[in-house]
Amino acid sequence: MTRPSLFAYRGQSSGRSDLVLGICAFIGFIGIWTLISHFEVVPQRFLPLPWKVLSALYYMLVERNFSEDIWISVARVWSAFLLSVVMAIPIGMWMSNYRIVGTLIEPIVDFIRYLPVPALVPLLIIWFGIGEASKIAVLWMGTFFQLVLLIADDTKRVPREFIEIGYTLGAKPRQITQDIVLRAMAPSMVDNLRITLGWCWTWIIVAEIVAANSGIGHVIWAARRFVKTPEVMAGILTVGIIGLATDQAIRLLHRRYFRYL
Amino acid sequence: MNQETPFLRVAGVSKIFEAEGHGHERIQVIDHVSMDLTAGEFAVYLGPSGCGKTTLMRIVGGLETASGGDVVLAGRKVTGPDRQKGMVFQAYTSFPWLTVLENIRFGTKYRNDIDTAQKDEIARHYLDLVGLTEFADFYVNRISGGMRQRVAIARTLAAGADILLMDEPFGALDAQTREFLQDQLLEINRVEKKAVIFVTHDVEEAVFLADRIFMFSARPATIIEVIKVADHIPGERHMDIKETEAFFHLRNHVRDVMRDQARATEEKLERALRPEDGGE
Ligand SMILES: Nc1ncnc2c1ncn2[C@@H]1O[C@H](COP(=O)(O)OP(=O)(O)OP(=O)(O)O)[C@@H](O)[C@H]1O
Ligand SMILES: [Mg+2]
Repeated sequence: MTRPSLFAYRGQSSGRSDLVLGICAFIGFIGIWTLISHFEVVPQRFLPLPWKVLSALYYMLVERNFSEDIWISVARVWSAFLLSVVMAIPIGMWMSNYRIVGTLIEPIVDFIRYLPVPALVPLLIIWFGIGEASKIAVLWMGTFFQLVLLIADDTKRVPREFIEIGYTLGAKPRQITQDIVLRAMAPSMVDNLRITLGWCWTWIIVAEIVAANSGIGHVIWAARRFVKTPEVMAGILTVGIIGLATDQAIRLLHRRYFRYL
Repeated sequence: MNQETPFLRVAGVSKIFEAEGHGHERIQVIDHVSMDLTAGEFAVYLGPSGCGKTTLMRIVGGLETASGGDVVLAGRKVTGPDRQKGMVFQAYTSFPWLTVLENIRFGTKYRNDIDTAQKDEIARHYLDLVGLTEFADFYVNRISGGMRQRVAIARTLAAGADILLMDEPFGALDAQTREFLQDQLLEINRVEKKAVIFVTHDVEEAVFLADRIFMFSARPATIIEVIKVADHIPGERHMDIKETEAFFHLRNHVRDVMRDQARATEEKLERALRPEDGGE
């Protein structure tokens, strides 16, 4: 008899059973939450019933124009994310392709990378005010310096032989970058972009809580003031859903586009 | 091309690596090596591990610069890598994001001497030549290591290289696949008639493939013996010759020379490790 692969060490995964298990775990989670809240193990003031959260979300969407806040947050996240990406890809690649760029930039990047982003928020507000620019700046600070190192790493991991083969096939450096290096590093790069996009959602909420009069973070913070726990949780839930949906969408594209893996 | 100048001329090539680290170490890897190759000739480099075969081949390919001496290929001095000098490495270098046929087609990508239709035709031609027709649409990580090396060879040929530089291309393969590919390589080159430099550790492989075997000393590499295989094993090259008396003799001779070199290396190493009881 073969052991079910679920319990085997590094057993093969099967899409169907993984999905079923995932759904079961999720239902179990909701069940436990319901029980704790229903029997007031934790007062409902702090942990409302799941459907109260959903109805709060419905109310917010219908009565409070919450969808506009969602769009504002999404727009902020994506513009900052794209800015980070557009800068990090070429700079990261230069860092590992040209030693001079790498040795000049790496110490600075390493230093800034370890600065806690929340601590930078006040400074960024002083510099950029409380308009859109400061939100973008916070997200950019929180992601660019991580991403640029990840990209540099992805570039470095392209086998040197690939590049040498490129030269012996008559490619110019620009063509090697475009046709070989970028293609070779694409799968791991897309993974890193996906993870970076997740961080953006962390930092946007921080930025919107500290200084904003719109966006999901602002809504959460405003609800907190009146201890509207269901609304706070509805806001958090929204971030979770958007995050999960984008993550899955990118994974799907990853599987579709990198079929050879 | 001038009649007197050979197709490939390696003239007094030396290589010294400046090793970074504690102290400034200079490692001489190649010591004034000279050799000529005629067009269509199959040369095999044989030598102890770490003697500098790869380095010399990379210098010929323009991927490494010599510290001294010159390499002249078809009348032009080698200054860098280009389409004229095709490389096949031991590591698999076919691109995983392309299929077998697309990989071979990639060899023609940067050619501007032919048009698109010709590129497709050439890719098909070499696909067939290396016997991978049925695997045209497979991604290369779905095929065996031996097939991947055939893809790499076909890609190099599709690029229209004048000389093939092969660094232990079959080194990672099992014995059967290896024998099969050796035979196939000769078969292909009977059609292509390219000059080849083929690096190997394997004495049998060397004797079977080579027109001429260049045997190298331990580091720094110098040529200690050159063997023209046709002088010892006459006639067409086929799998069967591996069973002949002549093949045996030559193989044993080559093996003895290589063993002496290996022993010399060993002794040198030992002396280096025990400097107190009488070093140099
Ligand atoms: N970039 C480099 N910097 C310093 N030393 C190097 C460099 N490349 C190679 N060497 C040294 O040069 C020597 C020869 O290397 P090479 O790879 O040419 O040997 P080889 O004959 O191909 O060995 P093998 O049979 O193991 O493949 C080795 O001792 C190696 O350590
Ligand atoms: Mg080598």
